Amino acid sequence: MSLFSHVRTSVRNVADRSDVERELDAELRSYVDELTAEYIKAGATPDEARRAALIKVGGMEHVKDQVRDERPGMMFENAGRDLRHGVRLLRRSPGFAAIAIVTIALGIGATSAIFSVINTVALKPLPYPAADRLVFITSQFTKLGFDKFWISPPEYLELRERATSYSDIAAYVQSAVNVSEGTRPERANAVYVTANMFDVLGVRPRLGRPFTAEQDLPNSEPVVVLSDAIWRRTFGADQSIVGKQVEIQGRKRTVVGVAPPGLDLHDLHPQVWLPLGLDPTNHQNRGSHFLYLVARLKPDASAGKAESELRTLIHQWGMLNPGTHVPNDSTHRLQLAPLQTEVVGNVTRALWILQGAVILVLLIACANVANLLLVRAEGRHKEFAIRAALGAGRGRILRQFTAEGMVLTTVGAILGLAIAQWGLKLLLAANPESIPRSAEIAVDPHVVLFTLVVAVVTAAIFGLAPLLHLGEGVVAAAIKEGGTRSTHSAARHRVRRSLVGGEIALAVMLVVGAGLLIRSFRNLTTVDAGFDGNNLVTFGVYLPQPVYPEAQRRARFVADLAAKLQSIPGVQTAAVMTGLPPNRQVNANDTDLENVASGQDLPAHNIDYYQSASARYFETMKIPMLKGRGFTASDAGGPGVAVINEAMAKRFYGEGNPIGRRVRPMGPSDTLPWFTIVGVAKDVKQGGLDQKPGTELYFNIEQGPRINGYAPNAFNFVLRTTRPIEAITPAISNAVHSMDTGLPIIQLRTMNAVFGDSVSRQRFLSQLLSIFAGVALLLAAIGTYGVLSYLVTERRREIGIRVALGASSGGIVRLVLRQGLGLTLGGILLGVLGALGLARVTRSLLFGVSPNDPATYLFVAGVILGIALLACLIPAQRAMRVDPLVAIRDE
Amino acid sequence: MTSPTNLLQGTLDLLILKSLALGELHGLGVSRRVEQLTRGTFEVGPGSLFPALHRLEGSGWLTSRWGVSENNRKAKFYRLSAAGRRQLDVETGQWKRIAVAISYALEAT
Repeated sequence: MSLFSHVRTSVRNVADRSDVERELDAELRSYVDELTAEYIKAGATPDEARRAALIKVGGMEHVKDQVRDERPGMMFENAGRDLRHGVRLLRRSPGFAAIAIVTIALGIGATSAIFSVINTVALKPLPYPAADRLVFITSQFTKLGFDKFWISPPEYLELRERATSYSDIAAYVQSAVNVSEGTRPERANAVYVTANMFDVLGVRPRLGRPFTAEQDLPNSEPVVVLSDAIWRRTFGADQSIVGKQVEIQGRKRTVVGVAPPGLDLHDLHPQVWLPLGLDPTNHQNRGSHFLYLVARLKPDASAGKAESELRTLIHQWGMLNPGTHVPNDSTHRLQLAPLQTEVVGNVTRALWILQGAVILVLLIACANVANLLLVRAEGRHKEFAIRAALGAGRGRILRQFTAEGMVLTTVGAILGLAIAQWGLKLLLAANPESIPRSAEIAVDPHVVLFTLVVAVVTAAIFGLAPLLHLGEGVVAAAIKEGGTRSTHSAARHRVRRSLVGGEIALAVMLVVGAGLLIRSFRNLTTVDAGFDGNNLVTFGVYLPQPVYPEAQRRARFVADLAAKLQSIPGVQTAAVMTGLPPNRQVNANDTDLENVASGQDLPAHNIDYYQSASARYFETMKIPMLKGRGFTASDAGGPGVAVINEAMAKRFYGEGNPIGRRVRPMGPSDTLPWFTIVGVAKDVKQGGLDQKPGTELYFNIEQGPRINGYAPNAFNFVLRTTRPIEAITPAISNAVHSMDTGLPIIQLRTMNAVFGDSVSRQRFLSQLLSIFAGVALLLAAIGTYGVLSYLVTERRREIGIRVALGASSGGIVRLVLRQGLGLTLGGILLGVLGALGLARVTRSLLFGVSPNDPATYLFVAGVILGIALLACLIPAQRAMRVDPLVAIRDE
Repeated sequence: MTSPTNLLQGTLDLLILKSLALGELHGLGVSRRVEQLTRGTFEVGPGSLFPALHRLEGSGWLTSRWGVSENNRKAKFYRLSAAGRRQLDVETGQWKRIAVAISYALEAT
């Protein structure tokens, strides 16, 4: 009842304000009338009575105002009035409003855009039901230095059989396949998965069903589950696709299902899901690791319990399978981590650093706007005094100021959200590959909420900052000041100066961070990859096993294609290799090294990268030979030869000469042919530009089929040419399709583009951070300029007196500069300390530069000092031109 | 008239509710009735009267209507609502307890 009447009255008070006002007016007038009548009765003349009654009532407006304050709903009423007042004030100074709103919009926009990314990538669970129950299981070879390594099929089968913490464990292999459909063959991302993968992930196909355990056996009927995307793109969203045949890798497969839209696995964006076809009875090849495992924890099992169970199982493994390759506690561990951490893990830190950076920008923006508001507060000092004298409480004034900040931030936030939307699109368009889960990223309700919180907090800061100095004595002081700017403002100056000092400090931290990342990025791009990447064009070709079953035919094919490519005008040499630098996945193949000692403390006979290359490979790539020779045309018919890289020579042959020594891939029998080392090549970066080159062993493609019956299926061609890539693209396409029209040309691009892609994440980070640092620098400069020019304006009279007393113009400039530089130096010092404090966070993102790199710090300090000097110079010049007569008379 | 005595916080509300216990009154009527009830100790001026009346009405303890005064003028009359009557009982009880407690305190030796 009471609440209802309260609400009703509130609504009425706000909605029918004019009615309520009229009624109040009538009520008070009737009171005066009654009182007058009373006085007349007591014997007064009507005029006297009326006069006495009016005196008795006192100020009618005053009474009304007091009534208004008592009315329910008045809070809204006041807020509305304050907001309108705020809007009016801002409209009167559109320049100030525009600067403030744009500053806030930029700050909030950038913050929201980055938060959108973080929200999706790091905070939102993966898009599977109960995704927090999913774990990722990998192996770890401590001695070889491999972390997050694959797991072998017997290990998978045995783990699945023995572990009790999981409702099920699925396995997958990442791949890419040729999909031949319509006129143009297409290269598509693929995953080979066990039949239970869909159940483990907890998803059902949108059409049809997943493949069955029987269809997942070796040599069973070939089937496929298509992704929603390829189903739409290539198969026209055919509703009756289930049961139809599709050619994949030269083999007809029956479509059994279409995956739900956006279904992803470990950010691989698979277009086709194929059965893995493991033989559940085969426990051979225990050392052949190529599976990643995804498991779903049972509802009552915790990750900790699963972990301890895994340790127990590892312990028992050796007893159950004595004398074989099994996981163990010391050199071959198994480990599990939440799938989410695994998918987004390595990018999360970079994202949080970006988020930190934008928050710094937002803080600087806030400080600037607060400073602007503060200047306005100074100008309205007398207005406040008058308001206070007329009875406005401090809270009322405070609310009014907050309202102005509110209007600014609300408009800024709305604009900022638009900027976030637009910036996010730009961000994702520019760097689709460097952010995991990019397809899911969007500005969503959480982000809107985040923006609102940021906006409200910002508004509060803006509203309160200018009032920090508005102490109890403000009224008296302001009236005494009588409009002159006096020395009273020391406290205000402290606030403004610390705001600007803080801004400079934050800017220093950002610019130092950006500087370090830019240097890292430059180091990455100029790192010696071991070959000359300029003027190289590369593309991939995959020869499907069903179409090219014989090794001999594959080797012939690539030799013929290389010859055709070489004859393209403008192409100097063409070669073939299996592994494209600089971002290969490690092979880690066990290898027989003749007469190389092995043992506990010696390096394991395991080679990081195998490379099958054609005769002209070293020549085309311009990889220098350190010893011996590269492959030649005559090797095709000659004895088995191999080339090793410098790292492999050092690791296994030390100071000795490896030329003439023999190596071979480790295999089941002892009769496999040996390959004689004929040369040592300079190291080529294969595992990432920021990594040490691993050991690498080269075989010759042309002789492989004859020596050990081996030829790969996947090839990368590389051409050295002086012509631009566009000019030779048609010729390359013709050359490939003249040999086989069904082969897609995979990723035709320049080697420099390959390198660019390999560091795209670092580039993305350093570019973004540079933009933020630039904005921070600009804002800090504006802030410094604003404060100094205000100080100069305020000290005009003092400067005038100094000039009148004979101060030189140099002295005046020094006076201003000293003030400005003191501020700047303090800020820089603070910023440098802050940046040093953050070194721990940035260290892992840097390459070839220390997080405490003195050169970067000095450079940044110099740049900021220079910018601050510029920002000081204009006010200083103005101070120099102060005319003492005008200045003194002025106020 | 006695010099204005500072009204204890909340006392004014209680006095207004009490003054309306017998029937409806307009603004000046309430003021006069309070004076009468307190034998002239409390004089309620319009500056505190009207805010209080509007506050009590907002709380749902009073209702109001426009009527005609004894001088044949249009005036706004206030009356207790059912909730107001209950509130008057509650506040009266509270006041009595306070008054007793304070007189004990002051008479203690």
